[in-house]
Amino acid sequence: MKNTKWLRIIAAIFAFTLVAAACSSGGSDGETGGSDSTNEDGDSGDSGDSGDGDSGDGDTVELTQDGGRLAAVQERGTLICGGNDTLPGFGIVDDAGDFSGFDIDFCRVVAAGVLGDANAVEFVPLTADARFTALQSGEIDVLIRNTTWTATRDGQEGANFLFTTFFDGQGLMVPASTGFTELEDLADASICVLSGTTTELNLNSVFSARGIAFNPVVFEDNNALRPAYEEGQCEAWTSDASQLAAFKSSIEGEGGDEQFIMAEIISKEPLGPVVVDGDTEWAQAVNWSVMATVQAWEFGLDSGSISGYSGDDPNILNFIGTDGFDPGIGLPADFAVQVVSQVGNYEEIYNANIIPIGLQLTGSPNDLWTNGGLMYVPPYR
Amino acid sequence: MTAAKVTPSSPSQQTPPPWRDVRVLRIVGQVVAVVAVFGALYWLFNNLITNLNDSGIPIDFGVFNQPTNFSIRDDPGFDDRSPLFPNLLWVGIKNTAISTIFGILIALTLGTLVGIGRLSSNWLVSKLSLLYVEGLRNIPVLVLITFFGFAVFTFGPFPPFNPSSPPISIGLPFSDSNLALLSNDRWGVPSIATDGATGLFWILMLAALAATVAVWRWRTSVNIKTGAPHRRVLFALGTLLGIGIIAFLITGTPYRMSWPAVSESGRRIDGGFSTNAGWISLTVALGLYTASHVAEIVRGSIQAVAKGQSEASNALALSGFQRYRFVVLPQALRIAIPPTINQFLNLTKNTSLGVVVAYPEITSLIRTAIGNGKPAVPLLAVLMAIYLGFSFFWSIMLNIVNRRFQLVGR
Repeated sequence: MKNTKWLRIIAAIFAFTLVAAACSSGGSDGETGGSDSTNEDGDSGDSGDSGDGDSGDGDTVELTQDGGRLAAVQERGTLICGGNDTLPGFGIVDDAGDFSGFDIDFCRVVAAGVLGDANAVEFVPLTADARFTALQSGEIDVLIRNTTWTATRDGQEGANFLFTTFFDGQGLMVPASTGFTELEDLADASICVLSGTTTELNLNSVFSARGIAFNPVVFEDNNALRPAYEEGQCEAWTSDASQLAAFKSSIEGEGGDEQFIMAEIISKEPLGPVVVDGDTEWAQAVNWSVMATVQAWEFGLDSGSISGYSGDDPNILNFIGTDGFDPGIGLPADFAVQVVSQVGNYEEIYNANIIPIGLQLTGSPNDLWTNGGLMYVPPYR
Repeated sequence: MTAAKVTPSSPSQQTPPPWRDVRVLRIVGQVVAVVAVFGALYWLFNNLITNLNDSGIPIDFGVFNQPTNFSIRDDPGFDDRSPLFPNLLWVGIKNTAISTIFGILIALTLGTLVGIGRLSSNWLVSKLSLLYVEGLRNIPVLVLITFFGFAVFTFGPFPPFNPSSPPISIGLPFSDSNLALLSNDRWGVPSIATDGATGLFWILMLAALAATVAVWRWRTSVNIKTGAPHRRVLFALGTLLGIGIIAFLITGTPYRMSWPAVSESGRRIDGGFSTNAGWISLTVALGLYTASHVAEIVRGSIQAVAKGQSEASNALALSGFQRYRFVVLPQALRIAIPPTINQFLNLTKNTSLGVVVAYPEITSLIRTAIGNGKPAVPLLAVLMAIYLGFSFFWSIMLNIVNRRFQLVGR
């Protein structure tokens, strides 16, 4: 299944090269052809979608798939979720071959919300630079792989970023024995960085803004990067602070050198689930499934208490669907109960996955808004 | 013509019905094949365009006018933090080419030696060669590259390169210069640096070359006229070197040796040729791997020369060296060239595995660009065009060399 898709894409690109070579000057001609087809399909994409909002230049945004994905997933009975398999805490394969982690749990959240079964998920491990291709080609239904929300990805990659599940920032880690504490200590140094991530851009813009020369050593995955860092091929490792914390505890736990994460955070990294542009219904379904975990936390409901809720708070009764409330987002009335009872609320998911790698919840940006954090969801009513 | 062939058969057999007529069937078959191929291509292309349009991603080559916004490992334009895309492509192509050229040098030298070694009558040499070929040929090249990266560098004997841990330096005798700086991240070796009138020097060298050709012709004619030994090589080399040295001195020694030294920050190599662990791992691993294939080609080509040729040269009392040099190898070469150039082509494409050892060749850079939010389709199209360019280069080389060595027609 996966292979044939890839073959198709590669062959299509090859065909495309031939055509591009044949009419290399035809940039504007190509657009004309594209807008014709938009006009033809303009009437069919009529489900109240604000397609004109993001296509001001009359560019080609066809909405032929509108509403297709949710039905397709429900018919298939499994959710295909693109994730990470090498990042402790967020997405990793354990000794038994099972996926676990914060992002993986949100895949299960979506499956529970959409399908009523948190285990009806097929995980597709993706490298950082393959993830958007997989999303664009429709190989995966949703991408939850510590993916930073940026404007370019929203625009050029055709990605639709949903509720931010984790507020992160890029930091730098050095061996504690070096005594380095600030970026200026790393002038001319080799810095290990993972390919296909926004970390390269952040690193470049911060260092060049301060006029510090550095040498990026770009690895394809953490399994190659980590030994290179530990053996001193590069003096610093830059990544999202959460990932660095995970690797810090892992390195120190395995008897490696003591590590130091610099206090300076050089970027904003909001991480969250991503779906492909052009399918609002599917995006809403995923978004509300994910936000239900935070709403449950705010209501003080957890996996043990939600299904046995016996109070009479009308907001909560709406939320758990016992009063038959249906906001019309295409999810079953009891989706919140399924999500929270099968996977847990946000706090439970965080405690199970992120606390073990050494990051606190209290006082972090990921705390609930009522506690001074950034976790704030629209009301469910 | 065809009618002439048909007529001898039974006169009662008129033109067969179209569905049994070979000529018709052939044409129909070809039309069906063409339609199927183009139909498949159209379907694939249409799929791509439809999916991209659905996702609102226009195919736009405008990306090539944008800055890349990331820097490249060991790029000489170290301080230029936002190179434009053409620069990125140029660095990538250059890195791919450097790895290819050195990989081919290793593969060709070692492959020829091992290939001849396999035919050696010395038991040890032939068995060692066999071990080499069978060992390396049967290991996936990706594993070999990763092994080099880890075993030689990451976990290897060399120290890290940072202010608290200087690299191993091998000094040049009787001076303060370093012959080599070795660390687990980068190596520095001497190189040739330029300063001064290189243009003038090369103009003078051109004159020297002309003089050399003249001397060569003169010696040849002397030899033909008087029968005296021509000693062309001796005379020509003498002329070239003599004029060359004079030109070098009067233009103010435009080239000098540049020795590697640890920079002030203790983190870079100033001077010399500085290269990183990724490049060495990739190039050496590809070279060794391809050498095992080249060795088999060399062995096969030598064995493909008719046995009678060797026997005839034995009958003429040629020595072992003469037999190879004048009889067997010239014929083997002709057989060996096409498959060897195929191996070069493979090696070129295999450099795309450099990403596993963090070597910034073109594939790795394009992938980095895509990961940083540049559109995938135009970039992959350009990437394919670049590899196509490399392949065209090799096939042109193959044709030129083949034409040079092919048997002159009867």
